[in-house]
Parts: sequence; structure tokens; C-alpha cells
Amino acid sequence: MSTPAIIVAIISFALGALLALLMIPVLVWLERRGAGLIQDRLGPNRTNVGGFRLGGVVQSFADVIKLVLKEEYYPKHIAKGRWLMMLAPIITFVSALLAFMVIPFADTITIAGESLRVQPLPVDYGILWFLAIGSIGVIGIFFGGWLSHNKYSLLGASRAGSMMIGYELPLGLSILSFVITYNSIDFNAMVAWQSQTLFGFLPAWGMIVQPLAGIILIISLFAETNRAPFSVAEGESEIVAGFFTEFTAMKFAMFFMGEYVAMNTASAVIITMLFGGYQLPWVTTETLLNNFNNFAWSIMALLPIIVLLVIRWMRKNNRVRPSVTSDGGRAFETKVLSIALVVMTLFVEVILLYLTLIPSTLGSSIAIALFQIATFVVKLMIFNLFFILVRWTLPRFRYDQVQHLGWYYLLPLSLFNIFVTAIVVVGVSL
Amino acid sequence: MSQRVKVVPRYGATIKEKLYLPAIFKGMKITFKHLIDNVSDSNAIDTLEYPEEQPSDITSRYRGLHRLTHRDDNSIACVACFMCATACPSQCIFIEATQRDDGQDEKMPKLFAIDTLECIFCGFCVEACPCDAIRMDTGIFSLTGNSREDFVLGKEQLLSHRGLFGEEKSHARK
Repeated sequence: MSTPAIIVAIISFALGALLALLMIPVLVWLERRGAGLIQDRLGPNRTNVGGFRLGGVVQSFADVIKLVLKEEYYPKHIAKGRWLMMLAPIITFVSALLAFMVIPFADTITIAGESLRVQPLPVDYGILWFLAIGSIGVIGIFFGGWLSHNKYSLLGASRAGSMMIGYELPLGLSILSFVITYNSIDFNAMVAWQSQTLFGFLPAWGMIVQPLAGIILIISLFAETNRAPFSVAEGESEIVAGFFTEFTAMKFAMFFMGEYVAMNTASAVIITMLFGGYQLPWVTTETLLNNFNNFAWSIMALLPIIVLLVIRWMRKNNRVRPSVTSDGGRAFETKVLSIALVVMTLFVEVILLYLTLIPSTLGSSIAIALFQIATFVVKLMIFNLFFILVRWTLPRFRYDQVQHLGWYYLLPLSLFNIFVTAIVVVGVSL
Repeated sequence: MSQRVKVVPRYGATIKEKLYLPAIFKGMKITFKHLIDNVSDSNAIDTLEYPEEQPSDITSRYRGLHRLTHRDDNSIACVACFMCATACPSQCIFIEATQRDDGQDEKMPKLFAIDTLECIFCGFCVEACPCDAIRMDTGIFSLTGNSREDFVLGKEQLLSHRGLFGEEKSHARK
């Protein structure tokens, strides 16, 4: 392995771990804050470190400290083998984390004639890995529910298990129709296929090429990740807290965080398979590389505008109301963050200016990879927000309705879709 | 009879409604609009930043923390008749009577305590009092303490509370 290959592998692995793990506090914050703002409340906005609130993200870290310090409670019947009780949330968490590791964050970059994947696990069978590892998570749930020796936990766990069976089929079948369309099981090749255009003006995103399979995929992933409106496994109105009724402190937190990692993974899979992954519509990596100067100039023009808008929004919202006298360091925070944003913008502008004035293939391909990573993160956040918005819009389905939807509608529809896809693909290739 | 029957329309029969997705997007549009409105101006949300901003809508009928009133000569209005303690449904008023030496009346409380942890703030004591000696017009809605004993309010503390709505003294007895 050459040096650039090792560097790219380490960077993409670190990026994958960061995007999955650092996203947890952000997502917990986004969920609570988003719920508040949707319901015309404010949400957590007070916890601060020296006046720095970052809009409330600090609250998540305070919550982690609280959960670590809480009492470790074990049900009475677990006298020996407490590690089994710890193993359950770890299985769920790790499987969600590992499933995230095959998502490509940028196109393969070519350094010194060697094409390198920007993918934490550089494999070309990504979708199979996702299906195999992603469904292990339910074993942890079932394990925990059964081990709890509690009828609510067992009910919740068996709900999760039966829902997994019910929705894994439409999920797999809709993914199969995408595999037929893209003619590949490699996430990177899927994104490359999606950066084409349809009829010359539509981006060939999976959602546009295969709308039915796309909707089935999104619905099944909602069910897979146990998110509302399919969160029957923890349905607290009927079965207390479902499978994690008996779990306390960090063991509960692992289940809780695993849910968010799974949601993040589901968002990543949805954007990679349906919404063009790390690519912007109409723009392929070759186009970007061939017109690097135009790309750099447009980024240089757009970035200050976006940063200015962000700073204006921050100055408007990161302050107390006129009736409150003490500011609590908000003005100082706004000032420091604005300066940091401006400095970062200037840094990016200088680098892009340097790359346009003194062109180098290596520099421009790295810049484009970074741009694609940024695009991916933005899309990821938009889809996580979509997950949160759905949770705070829709009530939970009744358990039998969930099963009915899965078996009677999604499964036949996905089979029908495969049939049509196969006919069209064979017809086109004839 | 037949004219008063209101026919409620049955929804959910058309294909559009059976698909669910249009209705889901309709709902998402509403929540998304709320989200965007509140993100763009979070200070316009109609909530109180509580400890810094205090509620301004406490009316004169609000049952706040109790107080014992004074007469015009600043002596205690209570005559220790035990009416409030009798009326109290949660039995949280404790009175011990004593001889009154100021020539105003025969009795006054030596000890008057309200256990606010037991109190349900029903206002029956205020209704029962024949001397207008106990009122709940202080507008105090929060009481904090570090031990259970902190929540048992004594005579001195109850006398020290001030009314929020102007009527300070009790004129029930001269």
C-alpha cells in the first residue's frame, strides 16, 4: 500500500466514525430542539460552558454525564452473567455503527494514478454489507427484551422481531429492484449511475427513476430503525417502554444512541441510493474536474453569502428578549462564533484562490472530494431532519396496522415493482 | 327529531385518502411551516423565559400562597375560631389558640401553621373565615425549600406576606 492510500484510508475511516458518533449528540439535540420548535416551544437552550450554548448542543453532553453517573440497576433475577445484559445494547449499537461504515462520502479520488475509495470500509459489495449487518441490530433488541424477564419487555422485543421480518422483505425486494436498475451492488457505482441525467434535464436520482421502490425503501427503513410512526416496539402508551423497560443508565443510553446511529445510517442509505449520494444534481465528478476554475469561483462567490446569512440569523436569534436584563454571555458567543466563521471562510477562499491561480491536479481533486463530503453531510442532515419531522408529525400506528401495511401492501407492491423493473431493463437492453 | 340529526361525513373512502401519503405530506407541511417560522425568529415564540421573565397575567382570583391579614391597628385579624382548619379538606392547618391581651377580642392564635406540602390550594379556608383573616391573594405561585420543614409556613411568615391587589387590611371586625 502506498502512502496516499494509507492516508486516504485513515481519513475516511476517521470521517466515518466521526460522522456516526459525533452525529449522536447533534441528533439528540436536533430532535429535542426540533420537537420544541415544531410545537411552538423553545427546547433545551440553557446549558452552557462559559456562556457557549451552541444553540443548546451542550445539553447533550450534560445528558451523557448524567447517564454515566446514574445508578446501575439490574433486575433481581440477574444474579450472574450481568455482562449479558450489557451485551444486548452493544449489539444494537455496534451493528448500526458498522452498517454506516460502507457509505461512500466522496467519489474515488485518483492520486498518482491510483484510484482510492473514500469509504470507511473500502468494499464493493456495500449494499450486501448493509443488509447483513443492519439486520443484526434486532438480535440485540430481542436479547435485551427476553433477558429482562418482564412481559412488557418481551412484548416489545417480539414486536421488534416480527416487524423486522415483516419489513425486511419489502426492504430487500425494493433494494433488489434498485440493484437491477443500477446493475451493481456497489454504493459508489450507484452514485455514479445517479449522476447521469434523464432525458437531458432530470437528474437520474433513484427517487425519480424508481419512485415506488423509493417510497417502499423509505417506509421500510423507518420501520427498520424503530422510528415513529413505526415505533411500536417501545410503544410507551401500551407496553411501558418496550424492550428497554429494565435498562438503566448507560445501558439504556446505548440503546438510545443506537437508535440515532441507525437513523443516521438509514438517512445515509436513503441519500446514497435515492438522492444522488455525495453528488449535486447535473454535476458529475468529471465535469467538476474539467471545469475546476468555474467551480472554485462559484464556491468563492457563494460561501461568503451563506456565511453572512448564517451570521445575520445568529445575531437575530442568539439573544434574549428585551424584557430579560441579563444576557448570559450570548453576545460574546455570537461575536466569537462570527469571527470563527469569517476566519474559516477566508481560509477556504485563500486556498481556492491558490488552487485557481496555480492549478494542480492533486489539489483540485482533493478540493472536489472535500466539497462532495460537505454535500453529503448537508444531505445527511436534511434527511435526519426529515426523520425528525416525520416523528413529530405522525402518530404511532397500531401494531396490527403496521403488520397489515407491511405484509398486504408493501410486499406485493415491491414484488410488482421488481417485475416491472425487470421487464423494462430487459426491454431496454434488447 | 329528524331535523336535529347531524350527518357527519365519513372520510377515508377515496383512493387519495387511502394512499395516506398526500395526507402525510399535508401534515408535514404544517409542522415544517411551524419549524421554519420559529427557526427564523425564535424570540417571537409565545413562551416565558421563566426565571428571568415572570408571568404577568395573575388575576385577583388567582389562589396563590396564603397570608394572614392585619386589622387597621396592625394586630392580627385571626381570632383562632378553627373554622378554616375544620373546612380544610386536606387537614393541613394547625392552630393553637391563646388569650388575647390587647382588648380587641378574646382569642388569637399562638401558633398558626399551614403545611403547604399537604395543601391543595382549594381556597376553602378563605371561604370559611368569618374575619377575613386568611387570604390567598399574594400572587406567590412558587415556594421552594431544602427540607420538608421549610414548607410548613408559620404564623410570622404568613403575616409577612403582602397582598398583591391593594386590599391590605381586614375590616371584618372593628
